Amino acid sequence: MSAVWRASRAAVKRRRLQTFVIGLVVLCSTTTILLGLGLLAAASAPFDNAFAQQRGAHTVATFDASKVSSARLAATARRPGVEAAAGPFGQAVLEMPEDWLWMPAGSLSVVGRAEPDGPVDRIHLLEGRWATAPGEIVINWPIAGTPGRDTLGTELRPRGGPALTVVGFATSMSKTAGGWVSPEQMERLRPATRQMLYRFSDAATERELRAGLSTATARLPADSLVTAQTYLALKRAFAAQADAYVPFMTLFGVLGLLISVLIVGNVVSGAVVSGHRHIGVLKALGFTPNQVMAVYLTMVSVPAVIGCVLGTLIGNAATGPILRVAFAGIDTGGAEIGTSWWPSVLSLAGMPALVVVTALIPSVRAHRLPAAQAITAGSSPRTGRGLRVQRRLGGTRLPRAVSLGLGRPFARPGRSLLTMAAIVLGVTTVTLTTGLTSTLLAFVDDDGATRVRVEAAGGSTVGGDTARRLSDRQTEQRLRSLPGADRVTVRGLTRVSLAGHTEPVYANFYRGDTRDLAPHVVDGHWPDRAGQAAAGPAFLDQHGLSVGDRITVLLNGRQTPVTIVGRLSDGNAKALDSNWQTLRRLDSSFQAAEYTVRLTQGADVRKYVDAVRAADPALRPSVLRPDNTVATTVVGFSSVFTVLLTVVASLGVFNTVLLDIRERRRDLGMLKSIGMTPRQVMTMTMSSVAALGVVGGLLGIPLGIVAHRLVVDHVGVIVFPEFTKQVWHLPQLAALMLAGVTIAALGALIPARSAARLTIAKVLHNE
Amino acid sequence: MTTVPDNHPSRTVVRLDDVRKEYGDATALDGVRLEIRAGEAVAVMGPSGCGKSTLLNMVAGLDRPTSGTVQVHGQDLGALNETGLALFRRRHIGMIFQFFNLIDDLPALDNVALAAQLIGTSARQARRRALELLDELGVADRKDTYPAALSGGERQRVAVARALMNRPALLLADEPTGALDSRSGEQVMDLLIDLNQIGQTLLIVTHDPHLATRCASRLIEVADGRVARESAVEAAV
Ligand SMILES: Nc1ncnc2c1ncn2[C@@H]1O[C@H](COP(=O)(O)OP(=O)(O)O)[C@@H](O)[C@H]1O
Ligand SMILES: [Mg+2]
Repeated sequence: MSAVWRASRAAVKRRRLQTFVIGLVVLCSTTTILLGLGLLAAASAPFDNAFAQQRGAHTVATFDASKVSSARLAATARRPGVEAAAGPFGQAVLEMPEDWLWMPAGSLSVVGRAEPDGPVDRIHLLEGRWATAPGEIVINWPIAGTPGRDTLGTELRPRGGPALTVVGFATSMSKTAGGWVSPEQMERLRPATRQMLYRFSDAATERELRAGLSTATARLPADSLVTAQTYLALKRAFAAQADAYVPFMTLFGVLGLLISVLIVGNVVSGAVVSGHRHIGVLKALGFTPNQVMAVYLTMVSVPAVIGCVLGTLIGNAATGPILRVAFAGIDTGGAEIGTSWWPSVLSLAGMPALVVVTALIPSVRAHRLPAAQAITAGSSPRTGRGLRVQRRLGGTRLPRAVSLGLGRPFARPGRSLLTMAAIVLGVTTVTLTTGLTSTLLAFVDDDGATRVRVEAAGGSTVGGDTARRLSDRQTEQRLRSLPGADRVTVRGLTRVSLAGHTEPVYANFYRGDTRDLAPHVVDGHWPDRAGQAAAGPAFLDQHGLSVGDRITVLLNGRQTPVTIVGRLSDGNAKALDSNWQTLRRLDSSFQAAEYTVRLTQGADVRKYVDAVRAADPALRPSVLRPDNTVATTVVGFSSVFTVLLTVVASLGVFNTVLLDIRERRRDLGMLKSIGMTPRQVMTMTMSSVAALGVVGGLLGIPLGIVAHRLVVDHVGVIVFPEFTKQVWHLPQLAALMLAGVTIAALGALIPARSAARLTIAKVLHNE
Repeated sequence: MTTVPDNHPSRTVVRLDDVRKEYGDATALDGVRLEIRAGEAVAVMGPSGCGKSTLLNMVAGLDRPTSGTVQVHGQDLGALNETGLALFRRRHIGMIFQFFNLIDDLPALDNVALAAQLIGTSARQARRRALELLDELGVADRKDTYPAALSGGERQRVAVARALMNRPALLLADEPTGALDSRSGEQVMDLLIDLNQIGQTLLIVTHDPHLATRCASRLIEVADGRVARESAVEAAV
């Protein structure tokens, strides 16, 4: 083995550049793949782990207390298919005032439970203790961390309810309640509903969960079940944002993998082909065919392993910030978002294996090569179509340096195809990114108008001590009448409950000019009548709703039925949009605190803002910038990937050109000896890849267009309106054509220059 | 023949003054002085590694001396940059190598035509002239054959044709018969003698004294990078 090792080391030393290229290609690809895998892992693993630890409820069912007794509910635990059950627990809704534990006013769903443990939904106590006596409450804290021990003992004063002291903070992956009190306290609150928590033996799909629940509740009165929330919906909510990134991360990962395979294959087979003489010498020295193969495999494995390890390190380092963005604002509960270990293991084992397998094919060729042929390789007679093409090119009017270059790819068709494939994938990536960027920009849709947001002190969004001088209605009127105002949209934001759902949601109630909002409806229409609402796909998904469904919205002890009439292109997973007429049915005295003013073209923004301040010091105007975090993130990620993959594709070209020049040193020397100028050498080398670049562009652009379509159709949390998907224009496509040529030129430039500078005497001397 | 340029007999074509060439610590040429006049046939001889090829490369402008000056056709090569050297070579110098250095992917005719095409001659014209040359060198029937299928002698004739394409003032040959069997070697030598007879200036490197005395009018013996001896050859053929 030591002879093999020594020969491999010598081979690596002689091919420093090639070794470096292999290492770099593997590094870039590993980083790309790791980012994709890391995100995929984070999208499900943390939830699953925490859910399993807490024996989360597969289904949280809410029953009407007036229609079914506790005893009958308890009996459902013994129905077939029920693996475990907990409850029934009394459930009531408290109306919390403004600023309770820094949260806005709204409904809080509380459940009466004697203890946090049990067969289902083992609530994880974060701070303090469980509520055991009346007047005590444990608050569900769904985001990372806790508000701290100091907060324990805070007294909460819900409207129309008893005062409750916070004795603990806890978290439940099943999101069974916003707070928990003792069963005695619950009975005093007179619960209108009761909660049952089930785990089913078959719980993989929504369908199985529905079947499980209907079997369990088969003997109960038909209308006693108010609502059911499944863990699958929670899991979707958990990964909602990450899911948005998964389709394109996966696509980029696959593209990265393909490019690496191609380039590693190309680099390695190039090493074997250009090493024919070397192989012959090894065999003449007495190396067995297997040893020769081992030398070549070792030669590529060393840089591959180094590249893979470095790529894994960089990938893991980069995953952290990306996960933070992807999971920003998500209720993580007991789940810890972090980097999983399996993508690293997979890439550390998989990438070198992939490289070795790729290297195996050309190495087998080295294995078979007879020593004599290997030593004389290069002067074997050549035939075929490639030669005819070169001949024909020689007769054209093109400058000879160009036609010589254009003929090169035909001399080594296999290698040229691999190189071209790498360019194709590179162009596909660039096209995909361009498309995504255009789509997102069209989606974010800046109409060019300046908007001013005016927030009123004392409203739900801005705390402050300045009292409002103008009422809500007066404010709206004043904002409209100030010079420069074009449209005014008023928003009332509040937390409401949906009957049957423990978690409160936000509701935006709009009035005024809602024309700007309507284009975001992709399905149905904007809710312009009382009792109508619209929401984004994430919200609808997680609440199991679709357009046409009816829900009951509760606020301050009042409730009103609402029909979902529209699906928005995107939107908060926890918010629905409705109108002022609907709000009036729930709260007739609600004062809006947020106004968005669209200014007329050319209006003086400063003047308007000053006028608003003068009108009422309690109003806080600010010039609005469109919120496009998702757009920025997607464009940012895509750009990073594009740069990585373009570099990798260019490296592929670089390697090809390098090999080609190595093999043709003698030809180059001769061409120079008959008077080929350095510039002509450059021209020749560059045109040898330019053709590949052009063809790569022609093939890569359509592929990129298809990939773009795939991605925009599958980003879960955003439904892109059709017009935002049609982003391709002729000038842009023409520019993309340049991408292939650019990748080719970038890769070829350095070796072409070195070829142009090659000292002929040296080449001829080394023959 | 149509290949010979307007060489005036008494004109100096090559002048080397105190040329030194070092490769790292090794000295390949050590103060070489040499003058070649138009129409001369000069043979450079010496053992392997003595600096013959290096000398030839200096004259061709393929490499630059560490010190000293090289003048060819009245041009100081030291004053030219890489591009200038290339342009100079394509106008005034033809080269033949021991291993022919033909391009494997091109048939004989295109290999020869290449030299003219590089300076912008149209493909048609270049091929026409290449065919004339191949014809004169007796390998016209092999014009469509690829180098790998040519015999050594044929390959060298094609290489000579290529060297003559642009009517060079000076034809350089580095061991032109070194890779040939003796019969083919003789034929290539005869060819070079014929060329010299009609006025082509020749500088030939060889370590075969028989060939050297046969084709050259002057012998230069090199040893350890120095000109050890210069002698005139009595009667060439
Ligand atoms: N490009 C080069 N790099 C390093 N050494 C060289 C180079 N070219 C020639 N030499 C050295 O210079 C000396 C003369 O070489 P060369 O001119 O090729 O000899 P010859 O042609 O007479 O056999 C030798 O020792 C050779 O090793
Ligand atoms: Mg030599």
